[in-house]
Amino acid sequence: MGETFQEERFTGVVKFRPPLYKQRYHFVKDLVGKYKPKKVADLGCADCTLLWMLKFCSCIEVLAGVDICASVMKEKMHRLSPLPGDYLQPAERSLTVTLHHGSVAQKDPCMLGFDLVTCIELIEHLEESELKKFPEVVFGFMAPTIVVISNPNSEFNPLLPGVTLFRHPDHKFEWNRAQFQSWALEAAGRYGYSVEFTGVGHPPAGMENVGFCTQIGVFVRKQTVNTQTSESAQSEKPTEAVYKTVFKAVYPSLTDEKYLQNAVVGEVVFTAQIITRSLLDSSMSEHEENNDDPTERKSKFQPSVNYFSEDLGKLVVEKSMKPFVNGSVVYIPLKTIFSFPKVKRLCGTFEQLRKLIAGKVPLSRDGSAVLLSTEHENE
Amino acid sequence: KTIGLQISAGFQELSLADRGGRRRDFHDLGVNTRQAIEHVQESKTGSSGVMIKLTTNYFRLTSRPQWALYQYHIDYSPEMEARRLRSVLLFQHEELIGKTHAFDGSILLLPKRLGNKVTEVFSRTRNGEDVKITITLTNELPPTSPTCLQFYNIIFRRLLKMLNLQQIGRNYYNPTDPIDIPNHRLMVWPGFTSSILQYEESIMLCTDVSHKVLRNETVLDFMYGLYYQVEEQRFRDVCTKELIGFVVLTKYNNRTYRVDDIDWDANPQCTFRKADGTEISYVDYYKRQYNQEITDLNQPVLISQCRRKRGSMIPGPVVLIPELCFLTGLTEKMRNDFNMMKDLAIHTRLPPEQRQREIGKLIDYIQKDDNVQKELRNWGLSFDSNLVSFTGRVVQGEKIFQSGNVFDYNPQFADWSKETRGAPLICAKPLENWLLIYTRRNYDIANTLLQNLFKVTPSMGIRMNKATMIEVDDRTEAYLRALQQSITPDTNIAVCVLSSSRKDKYDAIKKYLCTDCPIPSQCVIARTLSKPQTAMAIATKIALQMNCKMGGELWSVEIPLKQVMIVGIDCYHDTLSGKQSIAGFVASLNQTMTRWFSRCAVQSRGQEIVDGLKACLQTALRDWFKWNRSLPSRIIVYRDGVGDGQLYTLVNYEVPQFLDCLKSVGKDYNPRLTVIVVKKRVNTRFFAQSGGGFKNPPPGTIVDVEVTRPEWYDFFIVSQAVRNGCVAPTHYNVIYDTSKLKPDHVQRLTYKLCHVYYNWSGVIRVPAPCQYAHKLAFLVGQSIHREPNLLLSDKLYYL
Repeated sequence: MGETFQEERFTGVVKFRPPLYKQRYHFVKDLVGKYKPKKVADLGCADCTLLWMLKFCSCIEVLAGVDICASVMKEKMHRLSPLPGDYLQPAERSLTVTLHHGSVAQKDPCMLGFDLVTCIELIEHLEESELKKFPEVVFGFMAPTIVVISNPNSEFNPLLPGVTLFRHPDHKFEWNRAQFQSWALEAAGRYGYSVEFTGVGHPPAGMENVGFCTQIGVFVRKQTVNTQTSESAQSEKPTEAVYKTVFKAVYPSLTDEKYLQNAVVGEVVFTAQIITRSLLDSSMSEHEENNDDPTERKSKFQPSVNYFSEDLGKLVVEKSMKPFVNGSVVYIPLKTIFSFPKVKRLCGTFEQLRKLIAGKVPLSRDGSAVLLSTEHENE
Repeated sequence: KTIGLQISAGFQELSLADRGGRRRDFHDLGVNTRQAIEHVQESKTGSSGVMIKLTTNYFRLTSRPQWALYQYHIDYSPEMEARRLRSVLLFQHEELIGKTHAFDGSILLLPKRLGNKVTEVFSRTRNGEDVKITITLTNELPPTSPTCLQFYNIIFRRLLKMLNLQQIGRNYYNPTDPIDIPNHRLMVWPGFTSSILQYEESIMLCTDVSHKVLRNETVLDFMYGLYYQVEEQRFRDVCTKELIGFVVLTKYNNRTYRVDDIDWDANPQCTFRKADGTEISYVDYYKRQYNQEITDLNQPVLISQCRRKRGSMIPGPVVLIPELCFLTGLTEKMRNDFNMMKDLAIHTRLPPEQRQREIGKLIDYIQKDDNVQKELRNWGLSFDSNLVSFTGRVVQGEKIFQSGNVFDYNPQFADWSKETRGAPLICAKPLENWLLIYTRRNYDIANTLLQNLFKVTPSMGIRMNKATMIEVDDRTEAYLRALQQSITPDTNIAVCVLSSSRKDKYDAIKKYLCTDCPIPSQCVIARTLSKPQTAMAIATKIALQMNCKMGGELWSVEIPLKQVMIVGIDCYHDTLSGKQSIAGFVASLNQTMTRWFSRCAVQSRGQEIVDGLKACLQTALRDWFKWNRSLPSRIIVYRDGVGDGQLYTLVNYEVPQFLDCLKSVGKDYNPRLTVIVVKKRVNTRFFAQSGGGFKNPPPGTIVDVEVTRPEWYDFFIVSQAVRNGCVAPTHYNVIYDTSKLKPDHVQRLTYKLCHVYYNWSGVIRVPAPCQYAHKLAFLVGQSIHREPNLLLSDKLYYL
């Protein structure tokens, strides 16, 4: 899993590096990297740290958090808001982050259709009655493709300093491996999942028999049964909303025409300016017989991705695409601008480019070229 | 006792406090200077002028009658460490405490009073441990208590977050409706500044429109752009110069950093040691932590020195990747780009009417959002929906005296350049022996300048001989050599026509002529002179400026006070090399305030600027004595360049030092001292009601009610006129005063002094000595970097 385990002689005190909670989060992150789920929910999201880490994963389009305690969620929920940078350079994917206040023992339709549901250190906090309903809610009702459940392995407890009964005062129980695995297999069997067991937090050398400090079950829905269960779940339970939404953030994205248009207009104008500058530079150097050809320069600050010169080089080949100066106005054919990879990637098609910049960028009468005035170039 | 008041450390962590470092008290709370000034205990208001109806960007905060905030201390037995657990346990008793509360882990603020002074409740942790919680009332806070004020600001920030406004620096911005300026790759976010304080009569929210200029450009984009524009060998230099001091915004978190250096030898593949001791490269780190792909592996890295503790970050250098940083704000170059500034001004320079409307939007948001309203209601608070209105005064414009002539000016424009054109000056210094240095290419321009000066100087009363014309190569050394060879003890002034605005040449000339070879100098960029339609006006302006630099006098206003020395102080902080601060110090030498002594204090890092100021004051008094054969009986100091939160230091360190200095002059010397802090950057705006709409208040508008602070002897003056946008009033705070001058007289004197800045034939924003001090500090900080020769100290050579 890539976590670094500090090999040290066992002195009665176990320390994890990185800290165990981080190892758990990284475990989830690695899992996301592997399965690339689009919709992810974290049950018992607490102060939203895991959600915050997951929002950077570019495959995720929907992130949801559920917790029984609204004030804990609210405390740091604003770090799930889009950042200025997200507005400055909207991402290609869309992303919506929602936080719900509610219990994992209750069904709410907003939790349907997820690819991955994580329950990190959650179940040991559940009252017996809640724990009883939990498998039905998560596996039966939500029925995501993958479920991750982690909880403390009580066999490890003797190695932890100061742990008498449970690791945390709020824990209702702590299971050993056998207890967890039998519970997990039971639930998996009933709802058509396969489960694999792993964990984070290696025991110290010589004590391997106690197992991981945190035990984890990764549940994957069996292909054949899945449609049936989820359908049946959805059809037979016309549940109404019981969760309360406490936070919702929609990230700016290029899938939203408003942001796409801004991005395209910005890129087109910028590209046009670059072309104009190089056009004026080259005409200037012709005049002044300047031998210092700027494109010939080599430097230590060498662009590793050759920025523009390649694209500019291509321009010369196709005559029809050549920009030209007429008086104080530069004509830059749209086709030329479209040939820049960044513009192309944003628009996809030439038609789309035309549509997006219409009315936003000054164009020649026939709409085939961008017009740029050189009047203000100096001063 | 520290400055300002804080509820507790915990509340600051609630991420409600200002971001960006150690919390400073930006509002200078708790510095109560008025109580020591006897004659303004009763009233600090002036009386002259005609009344004017004004509206300002303040909203009253009102609370229910008999409102109070109840402060409780919460104890746990057994002791509970985790704040989260403490709050979970406490709020098991919501039926007792209520839904509305602010809790930082140990202090609980409630809008209501609990039944008993001490309440004991029991909570059970989920594993069955019983915890006794003792809730003890420690304070019943009236609405005006300092803790309440801080609480209002905390709650208000909560509200702004509820409105989904984004915090950048101290202000909040609305990211959903940005203004795009694609031509310059800029994005402007509209937003608000806000603060709730106790003002003269009531607690008010002061809010102003703020615009955050963000750039759709990463630092790496910027570097590439520059790379293609400058020569190879100069690239690193230019790049460093352009970027240092810039504030960048990181893509992956909402942090801003100041660029202090560029490490050209490092790149994203370099490794660093993480907190847990492992080594990781920047590329891997950003990929792993934020899923940020660094595509350019050869880029250098930016270094930001974190000076103060910022949350969990310890002071020390922070390494930033150019590709992952956005530029914010404008470069010097952009500021000089007329077109860009014009495009930007359309969106940011709002005329009064529109600004007033935008300000109203914030209150609108607040009134219309149900959640916000609910929160306010629960606390028993509300905001007035109307801007605060009151009456101000407009004092008369001054008469301009110039060599026996008296001029009135149009008060609307606050400018008399037309009126005084062609009138003789109070004191004209002859141009008998002077140099005009130019390059071959600019021979014609220099010659035209000479001819034009011949045309404009006679009416001013300036006698003028032909200049010694010197043609030089366009190199710095050539200019310096010409100066060295041609300056004689009789030289009045050296005029240099420069072919470009290249700073190094200008700096070298100024440095030489201000230190090694102290004579007045005038530099002109050739391009300024090249437009025929403005050539005459420019020549007039240059003639006036040269005259001032040689010790001439242009005009005066009536100053009724006798035996008074006016002092102006301003500071320049060298952000580029980050090492020096320069205090410019200017003091009047004569009764008519037409001549000024100047000195400056160059202070390296870690040194107190006040030591240098003491020396300045001593020399100024000596010179005053030389000119007047006596010592001044009053000294009035206008102190500019005081940052937010520095008032305490000023009152407690700088003023005593001034007094010390005066004491050291002589036993029986006991002049009256007034110290006035001048602040140009204030969020207060005034709108004059005219008809149904709003206009800028006219120059001469004085406000000393409502929006001033009860604990200060302070007032606002709108002295200047602006052509577009909203006029910004200047705030004056009299922090020390033994003059016994009436407030009205202090206000009038201050306004008069805004009339005598010789580089502008009009009224300016600050008293002339402040502007002179600013000019001096700027010249020394930008170009000279050490104290200029004292032989120049009685001339305005720094104009």
